[in-house]
Amino acid sequence: MTGAPVEAPVEAPLELPLEEGEPDVEESDVTDRPWIVIVWNDPVNLMSYVVFVLQKLFGYSREKATRLMLQVHHEGKAAVAEGPREKAEGDVARLHGHGLWATLEHPS
Amino acid sequence: MSRRFVRKGDVVRVTLSEPERELLRELPEQLRGLYSSDDPDDAVTARLFPRAYLDPTEEAAEREWESLVRPEILREKLAALELVVVALDAASPGRRGRLVVDLGEDDVAAFLGVLNDARLALGTTIGVTDDLDLSVLDPSDPESAAYAAYGWLTYLQGELVETLLGKMPG
Repeated sequence: MTGAPVEAPVEAPLELPLEEGEPDVEESDVTDRPWIVIVWNDPVNLMSYVVFVLQKLFGYSREKATRLMLQVHHEGKAAVAEGPREKAEGDVARLHGHGLWATLEHPS
Repeated sequence: MSRRFVRKGDVVRVTLSEPERELLRELPEQLRGLYSSDDPDDAVTARLFPRAYLDPTEEAAEREWESLVRPEILREKLAALELVVVALDAASPGRRGRLVVDLGEDDVAAFLGVLNDARLALGTTIGVTDDLDLSVLDPSDPESAAYAAYGWLTYLQGELVETLLGKMPG
């Protein structure tokens, strides 16, 4: 990523926006494992821009968006969202629309 | 030193020199060409329109996702190019011989997307890496103009993002 590192707060456990409540059994495939949305590092995207996009698309706080961005920057990737396939596919599409490279996969 | 982007209510005003406006004004045309590239091996196209699934067993899902999402993303990107063209062409004289462009909310999003896509395209072409040091540009390097453009667009996008972040919850 490009740009001066943004100050990060003290480490806190990464919280994913897990779906609340039970899935609707009639509509969901009970064997459908959740999907996670991964954002990948690339040398062009500005660190500040990644923070901006995460805040804009997911409503994350500056703190959370910054933490995720730093994880992308230092570890090469970060899980930024989770949910059923259709939601994760939509998240990936929106991230691509903002020039971030994202993919979806099952948690390992 | 004057700030490039200044918020005036819901509008963001950007100040540009004429050469800077000309450089930006060339981006929509260049991007339009890249967006319509048919070359499956083109590295720039692959970066602008990447895959959603890395798992090869999800190829069917990938195809379906691409068929639904790609046309929509392309439509949005092309619309953004139009907004940027209109905004730049509507520039008015500012102080000290420079130009000012007033960007509404949709224009700002379009501008940001065009800057980012231009940088992705340029960056992919010139092989930008994480440790690229733009301060050691060698003017005799045939690619130095591309590096200089990339550097300036990086600065400009950074300024715009800072302006927008200032308006979001901290």
